[in-house]
Amino acid sequence: MSQDRTTKQMVTEGLKTQRDRPVYNADTIDRISREFKQWKNSAVSIEDRKHYHIKPNLLLGTDLPRGLVYTPIDTKFLDYGEDLGLPGKHPYTRGIHSNMYRGRRFTIRQLSGFAGPEDTNERIKFLLDKGATGLNIVFDIPTIQEYDSDSPRARGQVGMGGVAVDSVNDMELLFKDVPIDKMSVSLVTHYPTNTAILFAMYLVMVERRGIPWEKLRGSVQNDMVMEEVVRGGLEFIPPRECFRTQCDNISFIRTHVPKWNCITCNGYNLREAGTSAVTETAVAMANAIETLKELVSRGHSVEWTAERISFFWDVASDFFVEIARLRAARRLWYRIMKYRFGAEDDKATLMRCHVQTSGLSLTSEEPMNNIVRAAYQALAAVLGGTQSLHVSSYDEAYSVPTEAASLVSIRTQQIIQEETAIPAVVDPLGGSFYIESLTEELEKRILDEIDVIEEMGGIVEAISTGWLHRKIAEYAHNENKMKEESAIKLVAHNYHKLDGNRVAPDVFRYRSGVEDRQRKKIEELKQRRDNAAVKKRLEELREACLQHENVFPYCIEASRADATEGEIAQVFRETFGLWHPPVNW
Amino acid sequence: MQSDNMKVVIATLGLEVHWRGAVTVAQMLREFGVEVVYIGNAFPEEIIEAAIRENVIAVGVSSLSGGHLALGSDLIHLAHKKNIKDKVVFVIGGVFPPGDYDKLMKLGFDGVFGSDATGEDIYNFLKKGVNAKLDGSAGNSIA
Repeated sequence: MSQDRTTKQMVTEGLKTQRDRPVYNADTIDRISREFKQWKNSAVSIEDRKHYHIKPNLLLGTDLPRGLVYTPIDTKFLDYGEDLGLPGKHPYTRGIHSNMYRGRRFTIRQLSGFAGPEDTNERIKFLLDKGATGLNIVFDIPTIQEYDSDSPRARGQVGMGGVAVDSVNDMELLFKDVPIDKMSVSLVTHYPTNTAILFAMYLVMVERRGIPWEKLRGSVQNDMVMEEVVRGGLEFIPPRECFRTQCDNISFIRTHVPKWNCITCNGYNLREAGTSAVTETAVAMANAIETLKELVSRGHSVEWTAERISFFWDVASDFFVEIARLRAARRLWYRIMKYRFGAEDDKATLMRCHVQTSGLSLTSEEPMNNIVRAAYQALAAVLGGTQSLHVSSYDEAYSVPTEAASLVSIRTQQIIQEETAIPAVVDPLGGSFYIESLTEELEKRILDEIDVIEEMGGIVEAISTGWLHRKIAEYAHNENKMKEESAIKLVAHNYHKLDGNRVAPDVFRYRSGVEDRQRKKIEELKQRRDNAAVKKRLEELREACLQHENVFPYCIEASRADATEGEIAQVFRETFGLWHPPVNW
Repeated sequence: MQSDNMKVVIATLGLEVHWRGAVTVAQMLREFGVEVVYIGNAFPEEIIEAAIRENVIAVGVSSLSGGHLALGSDLIHLAHKKNIKDKVVFVIGGVFPPGDYDKLMKLGFDGVFGSDATGEDIYNFLKKGVNAKLDGSAGNSIA
């Protein structure tokens, strides 16, 4: 019975296909092995022989031993057709497009969002004017946690760390005069519940502008791991209901906004909270797998659903591991889709992704060094074949980025695109003994960890029991210790530290008056709208929650009636109840 | 020394979504033998209530997304109102623009820590601060 078998079992079984395109023949490997042995025992110093493999200690690192040198012996397993293939061909290790960046450059997609929608609208136009090719909107913490700007709980936090959005009216202001029908727009909604609200508001805004939903391109996050583990705040709804909402959103968005990525399995924020590249990838894929199973059980086809699943990865400083991980993730996702789900449509087997360079790896000491860190990370993302990129800005250890710092992030990407010739050649590191060996090892470890999660009952269980919370807290704790002991070295932070006063950059200052402006808009909205209609729409949503109907159409109706985010969220809290992870911090 | 039995409350301030810092500090302080009551996301009223209920000698709050000035100010005001400001050490940690370190001190925090602070820095500071408050020399700078 296929249901009883884990993804790992099914992929392993599937891989026992004919491997008839070996990169090396056995004789060659034998000869190289003999030479290698002789070299190791004579030319390599006794010290290096003893510690032939070392484990670098890095921030957000992955516990992978590294040999002194890599040779065909480390990649003797390689079958060209099964493991590498050509660009745009199975198993997509080398990239998802045949012409990769010659065909389309990676999208320069800087995060933006602060203060009110009017303010962020200005920043959006600045970024587009300077060459950004996609949008990436981040919301303030009350909006993420679904409180209106006039809630007592939002006091002092409105417009902080993102843009405040309370209603469709704010969505209109946010995207005023922005050609959203001509570019892709990523909405960093994080949670399933706020995706149901904020994306509904976005769609109503689009409708009021007369743009058909079918034309829209972009993505929402809609990831339960964000709501329940990584970016959860004051009040959580239970994991089961959160997962249900995630799947409701997918079902609706996939049907009515066909070019939109209906879920972005977000490894990035999980990694930043504290974990390795392996766990980051495994958790995101375990979520995607369970989501696909659920959507199939709701009667949707696996191909139809998977075609619009996207991924979001963190790229930190372990240069070659990050490159190999992106390659491994592409290959593994293809294999999962093929062997676990039997997907026949190629489009459903592509691991498409956005990358953000690690914010955690930036230091407040000598912030200009962060430009260098982020540039290496960006380079790794591009060598790994990402579709889209955000480069974290040098001043982010202080505040949200200034215009000047955002510009450097855009320039970093343009320099890679136009001044290095890197985009000219697809997967330039493919075939490197080291990269191929890392790719193989990472793929294996990611699949092993997906197996651990599935053995405990899947991602919803791994969250419900607090396993994932504990895992990342433990990692963060150990990492912090290593940082304090300088086992993990960060230049100018705990290593080569300068004495004396640090020079702080010009940092972003929040404009005042945003909270009052938001409050006033809500007040006016509540006077202007048909409050009886709002009440009715919210009652209908309540019924849908209780009757296990898809919640998304009801959020659309509530948004059309100009309900606020907080009003809609309150229905979720009341019907789904609240939950606390069973973790004793 | 009295501070050997330190008991502290740690909270993530308001709606802050980044909890890694607060949880890590809680774990580090526990390793130094401090009894930590980690209450997760909490607003000033709940934090002060917990501080009084748990009879702690220090309160640590974490903020990374910009709410530190408004909610930090509420917290200190409430501490004064409930008469615990002179008995309890108040520290705040997180990501702050450079000029805000001084502002937070002026609001009345006893200590402000950025991401470069170590567990030992925080522990030593608390120990010193708690002893100063217990000695009745509160109100003096303990930084």
